[in-house]
Amino acid sequence: MATLKDAVARKPVLATIRLIVPAGAARPAPPVGPALGFYRLNLMAFCKDFNARTQKYKAETPMQVTLTAYKDSTFEFVVKSPSVAWFLKKAAGVETASGRPGHAVVSSLTLRHVFKIAKLKQADPFCKHMPLDALCKSIIGTANSMGIEIVKDMGN
Amino acid sequence: MKRKASRCLKPHTRQLKDFLANGCRSNLGAPLRAEPSIFGARVERAAEMLPLVRPRPGRAAPLRRLCRRLLSSAQTPPPPSSPRSISNRTSPLLLLLSARPSPFRAGGSGPASRAAGGAWRGVSSCARARAVGVGDEAASSSPSAGYDFSSPYLSVRIRCRKEDAEVLSEALLCFGATSVSVDDIAAAGNLDEISITSTFAHGEDVGSSVSNAASSAGLEYSPVYETSVGKQCDWVSVVQETYESTKVIDGLWVIPKWRTPPDPQAINIIINPGLAFGTGEHPTTKLCLLLLRETIEGGEHFLDYGTGTGVLGIAALKMGAVLSTGIDIDPQAVTSACENMMLNGIGSDKMLVYLVPTNAQTACFPSNIDESEENKSTSDLELKSSRGSYDVVAANILLNPLLELVEDIVGYAKPGGIVAVSGILTEQVPKVEEAYSRYLENISVLEIGGWACLRGSRRA
Repeated sequence: MATLKDAVARKPVLATIRLIVPAGAARPAPPVGPALGFYRLNLMAFCKDFNARTQKYKAETPMQVTLTAYKDSTFEFVVKSPSVAWFLKKAAGVETASGRPGHAVVSSLTLRHVFKIAKLKQADPFCKHMPLDALCKSIIGTANSMGIEIVKDMGN
Repeated sequence: MKRKASRCLKPHTRQLKDFLANGCRSNLGAPLRAEPSIFGARVERAAEMLPLVRPRPGRAAPLRRLCRRLLSSAQTPPPPSSPRSISNRTSPLLLLLSARPSPFRAGGSGPASRAAGGAWRGVSSCARARAVGVGDEAASSSPSAGYDFSSPYLSVRIRCRKEDAEVLSEALLCFGATSVSVDDIAAAGNLDEISITSTFAHGEDVGSSVSNAASSAGLEYSPVYETSVGKQCDWVSVVQETYESTKVIDGLWVIPKWRTPPDPQAINIIINPGLAFGTGEHPTTKLCLLLLRETIEGGEHFLDYGTGTGVLGIAALKMGAVLSTGIDIDPQAVTSACENMMLNGIGSDKMLVYLVPTNAQTACFPSNIDESEENKSTSDLELKSSRGSYDVVAANILLNPLLELVEDIVGYAKPGGIVAVSGILTEQVPKVEEAYSRYLENISVLEIGGWACLRGSRRA
């Protein structure tokens, strides 16, 4: 799997597709089906490839995938970790974020949680260069927009 | 008449809503509760369809009976003839109700939510054809039986400024879109605005998702969008057209059923790709086919563990094996394998296909298309008793199942028999080798394009 940068330089790009697919459970059904089928990409190859590469994650975690489809019906894809919002919801143990962020607080987390999430995100190919504190700040920002309060101490 | 129908239907609306809500995500309950009238109207329309099949005085009665019958029969395989005998118009109802027992995979949204929309959205020819398939899905306890081919999804085309496309697509994903596609930005030329396409699960509130996404992305304007309903059948057939004949090695080809073999002298395996895995193009399929070529000399019994389209089983027979057995947890795969058997002119005396439950333990259910009742119980025993008798066993699945099911897979091979596992990346080989070295000796690994196939012979 070549890096996306060389790939873009080499071949004409047809489209960029972003998906959320549960780890190890890609099927030709939606969301994979319509999105890839529209560009006539080989669904089964993607499913097999994606499932094999996400075997190391816990089953069913929603991974973010970015696919680049080329004009010759080939494609490449990058698997990224789930969204920060999903991590926060899981850590806080809530199903949905607050409907009125800023006013209604749904749950609260400590800086320790934020730090752990930042470490996980740093393992992502796209965030490797970001310093940890910048990642933490952006996670705190997301948490605020979801109505999850961050308590500023390293509790457990 | 209308008044009477809606009065009779209310309790059943609740019944249907309840059992739909039980299996669905929490936020699906909201639209149902908020708009009971729409749901009621849809159920009404469905009930109007029923009397065409079974004319009865009370419109609600057939619906209730249908609900109960399908719910109770959910655990046992419904006889294949019944979905076909009921007319086209009720098959959407069957899809709705039989989708319930299959556990909801998060490949998109719960099938019931899509089925709820799908049931009322008119009947496409796919619904008719797939009624049998979905009936099988309801019967199996496999969690992978989550496809619902006639149910629609929402496809939304949104226009926005070029520079906002990236941010907006990220935001849409956070607010409920299941996928977002952006056509190549460079190709848009000098246009300020481009379109992005997004798919949503049926029943989602597109308007609020889009506006939330737009405000979260920091757009000052509210993007214009239009929603359309897409049906699965459309793209499935489109993708099928792209399959080409594949040459695995000199003298061995895998041909999609609508193409002619370029080399009539070679061993040609004809496959209808469909929705099961194994078209011959993937490196893992090629690895397994190469391995078969090396090991099959004639007269072997072969087991294809995780058969998909049945390509490996069929190949083994064409190379000289005497009997092939294919097992899979996905009913879609079993259907596909049976079809491909027939395409290659192989009868059930040479190849058997079984549907096994996901825990892959003792009980197995055969589902040949031409099965007869009396064969069922004998076939269960046949598969169980065939453990430890296969000369060659191939398992082309995924790392985690391979690690979990080591004993099951190796158990099918006879002592000294060849066991081959694939579907693993090169970096995953050490783990597999470690797990399998307890049971296999003479382990060797073959690799193509980052994928690996590990083979060994069972220790006595």
